[in-house]
Amino acid sequence: MSFLKVFMQEVRTLFSDFAIILTIIGGVLLYAFFYPQPYSKENVTSLQIGVIDNDRTTLSRDIILKLDATPSVDVKRVYMSQKDAKEAIQNKEITALVLLPKDMKKDIALKKQVVIPVGADGSYFLIYGGVLEAAMKTILTEAAGIKIANLLVKGVPLEGVKKQYTPFSLQTINLFNPQNSYTQYILPAVFILILHQTLLIGLGIFGGGVRERAYKEYDYDVPLGYTLLSRYFIFGGIFFIHLLFYLGFAFDFFEVRHLAGMEDIIAFGLVFLFATISFGVFLGSLFPVREMATPVVLFSSLPVVFSAGFVWPLEALPQTLVMISKLIPAVPAMDGFLKLNQMGASLDMISSEASILFFEGIVYLLLAVVVLKKKKKINRLFS
Amino acid sequence: MKKAFFDELLSIKNSTYKLVLLFLVPVFLFFLMIVIFSKGVLEEMPVAVVDLDHSQLSREVTFAIESTKTLHVKYKLSSAKEAKALLSEGKIYAMVVIPHDLYKQTLLKMQPRVTAMINTQYLLIGKMILSTLSSAVMSVSAKIEVAQHLVEEQNTKTVLQKVAPISLQINSFFNTYQNYFYFLVLALVPSIWQIIVTVATVVAFGEMVKTGKDKEYFKENTIGKIIGKMLPYTFVYSLTLIFFLCYMFGVRNWEFQGEWSVVVGAVVFTTIAYQIVGLFLLSINFDYARALSLSAVYTAPAFAFLGITFPAYSMNDFALFWRDMLPISYFMEILISQANYGSDIMLTLPWIGSIILFFLLLIPVWLLYRKRVSR
Repeated sequence: MSFLKVFMQEVRTLFSDFAIILTIIGGVLLYAFFYPQPYSKENVTSLQIGVIDNDRTTLSRDIILKLDATPSVDVKRVYMSQKDAKEAIQNKEITALVLLPKDMKKDIALKKQVVIPVGADGSYFLIYGGVLEAAMKTILTEAAGIKIANLLVKGVPLEGVKKQYTPFSLQTINLFNPQNSYTQYILPAVFILILHQTLLIGLGIFGGGVRERAYKEYDYDVPLGYTLLSRYFIFGGIFFIHLLFYLGFAFDFFEVRHLAGMEDIIAFGLVFLFATISFGVFLGSLFPVREMATPVVLFSSLPVVFSAGFVWPLEALPQTLVMISKLIPAVPAMDGFLKLNQMGASLDMISSEASILFFEGIVYLLLAVVVLKKKKKINRLFS
Repeated sequence: MKKAFFDELLSIKNSTYKLVLLFLVPVFLFFLMIVIFSKGVLEEMPVAVVDLDHSQLSREVTFAIESTKTLHVKYKLSSAKEAKALLSEGKIYAMVVIPHDLYKQTLLKMQPRVTAMINTQYLLIGKMILSTLSSAVMSVSAKIEVAQHLVEEQNTKTVLQKVAPISLQINSFFNTYQNYFYFLVLALVPSIWQIIVTVATVVAFGEMVKTGKDKEYFKENTIGKIIGKMLPYTFVYSLTLIFFLCYMFGVRNWEFQGEWSVVVGAVVFTTIAYQIVGLFLLSINFDYARALSLSAVYTAPAFAFLGITFPAYSMNDFALFWRDMLPISYFMEILISQANYGSDIMLTLPWIGSIILFFLLLIPVWLLYRKRVSR
């Protein structure tokens, strides 16, 4: 049987399998738009907060005004009692609270230390962080303003005061994700994972299915090399287009910044596809039935995301787990793509990720060949 | 119903795959998630300091960073370019550049500027590092300021007030664990669990669809047999999640203020809801492999829609709509309201009602099965 004939037979088998097409074409296209939905609201809604104003002076009213003027914060109500506020939080009417203490203005005038409690619903991590940032900024501006007023009483000229109030300052720069955008943070890594997982499911169903059918349709005399090579070409071709679509069109559509040049993406992308296809062929050779691939890959998704290091740092993970997780091509691939495309690394800076992937591609291929040869022998015995 | 229940028990006993799905997979995955977040806090995160000043003050700034628990000055470099390369390679999470003449300019009250660059591609890690780094560096600045004021006035108390007349006290209502572990594990485990429940249901009914045996089996007493076949899974998966919650709130002693019976009820209802959804996805066209693909689309992204790492109030209408289509969203609302607020049971009723609404899908499932067996 010639290579072309084997190739065409594989193409036919693939395209007549609706479950595979649903995953590797329908699923991939759907996920590109479906997954980013939670993070892609165009107008950011402001956080609903409450204020307990026990001071009721011009100063406290000024602070409330300034808080309300912060774009991310909306002062919904100025609550009278702590009990009211607690109820409002439970009803989800507000998610954070600022308490302006009694005699705040007086105490500041008397140069007493003043403490302003700021609270948020701790169940929701980001809401918490957001409100702290906003409230801190507003109230610290207040604090700075008061400091200047204090010094002015002593008769220092205004110019000097402004420079004097901190010995040295800290300028912070957000690198790689300047807007602190959630899409920029999540999508680049998750897109790679989606490609990886759908490729594995496709190959897994295909591999499991081929062997289920093997007794009837498949020719034992088809050289293993031909079938494998066909699979690399078919799945590689489809996912190469997907990769360009995800890292090109989808990134632009969701306004994800990307830095790497086309040829670098293609170079690393090919190693990624090679490793993942080998892994998929290997997994497919292990599955006794076609329906096993989807559950196995599905169950692994969340653990892979959280052991890949971009949400929760590798430094905080048990080191054995870090080593084991690298055996899954998605882990070095996400790492490498993030560095290359989002963090401005050059191709040789991610050579270790690329070599891991290349090595995995070879090892999984060899393992798959061993398993498939063994199974073929068994099939032959039964025929 | 009884017969189908015992038939399924027997089938589970004889199927390694089903046994693994019921017992090994959930325990292994729950354990894995707990291990991943076992540390709970960030410690010794590598950063680089580029010291161009080489003064007593710059060494003090470096020391202040090093002495935090969160950060570790892994590299002391002489050029910002080197540090930036390390950032790109992911070897450090932040770099601090201490300018030439920091000490001199501070003495001259020229207010020099220390620059910190933080990798915010890793958004949450970046945020945590930023807050530690700023407070470490600014603590040195504040110390100098106190010293400067002390020279003028010999009274520490008023000096402190002058440096920071208003200070913020950061409180968290309800959740006293300022620990990332809590937020994530509490939402992640149920998110993984709902995938397993849905998939296992599709497997249990799908294997029969594949062989065509279900046409004969469900001919009589269709709905009763369907429910009987579901029940063993309802028991096991409800218990698995309840065990996990007992471990978290009991053994690890996380605060739980509410009513356990509400949570247990919610677990059972959510299990049944997901089983029925899985069954519905299968009975749309009675194709085992396709039903698994559909379950993947439905259950896999659920975690992102929960609103735990990203607030629900910032989601667009479609995301909010999809969130409402997932029983797990209501379950998380109930769990959080019970664990953290100890809310009144009346408050959780609408959520429990929403979960029970999913039971209605059993009607189309029943009709579709009727249609299948009558053919």
